[in-house]
Amino acid sequence: MRFSTKGRYGLRAMIDLAVYSNGEHVTLASIAERQGISTNYLEQVFSTLRKSGLVKSAKGAQGGYVLAESPSDIKVGRILRVLEGPLSVTDENDENSSGNESAIRKCIRVNVWEKMNSSLNELVDSVTLEDLAEDYRKRNGIDSTMYYI
Amino acid sequence: MKISTKGRYGLEAIVDLAIHSSEGRVNLKSIAERCEMSEAYILQIFLILRRAGIVESIRGAQGGYVLARDPSQITVGDILTVLEGPLAPVPCIAEKVKRSKSNCDRFENCTARSFWEGIMNTLNDVANSITIEDLVKCYNSSISQNIELDYYI
Repeated sequence: MRFSTKGRYGLRAMIDLAVYSNGEHVTLASIAERQGISTNYLEQVFSTLRKSGLVKSAKGAQGGYVLAESPSDIKVGRILRVLEGPLSVTDENDENSSGNESAIRKCIRVNVWEKMNSSLNELVDSVTLEDLAEDYRKRNGIDSTMYYI
Repeated sequence: MKISTKGRYGLEAIVDLAIHSSEGRVNLKSIAERCEMSEAYILQIFLILRRAGIVESIRGAQGGYVLARDPSQITVGDILTVLEGPLAPVPCIAEKVKRSKSNCDRFENCTARSFWEGIMNTLNDVANSITIEDLVKCYNSSISQNIELDYYI
């Protein structure tokens, strides 16, 4: 029952970008250094994030990445679905929800897996990237007001 | 992040055992037939569940398995935790739950980690709120509905 490294590292990189960007482009090298993730790996993750419209890139000396929307408008569930696909505790292919699904299996699917899935999706959609960025600033003693001076 | 075959099959086999326990001890072969699983795989799962005190085995010609507790006293969370380990969406939390030291030096102060813990707690809450008895009741009512349908046709 694990999220892949893409989802895990991708979420941390998005939090980092939300905290350190403040509208400016941030290089993957600086995210990589702060978060202890390889730049090569971040390139793959950011390619996915860019295609989905969550981040924008700029080339050149001042290049890097910036969030495409305000962090308060980005639900964490959206980031995770972009990186991981639909969030479900069971694999669709394993689940035999066709006509010959046994009575026990149907009871388990409806009462267990579907309830876990809806709780999971509700939770990740109730948290925004800004919520996590705010938590990160607090934990790391970063004053958010300094960016607005 | 998926529940493995072991967790899914184990839960199904336990519900089947609970349904048929009223007839006394249940042999693995009959569970395997009804659930369309291999007997060897169910045996492997039941050995783990026996060690965890969820099922008891009775040896002999009339041997088989029974639930070690009333179905109302066994939750889905009990079964999944035994078969899957902690429902931890990321490795660093699983290590913490198992009380081994996390490999990550950012662990204590990590925003992402506390978010993932929230997911684990939510999944555990759901799993712990459903008992095997609830699933047996669901099964019984679906079966009785089918019988009524047959009757009226």
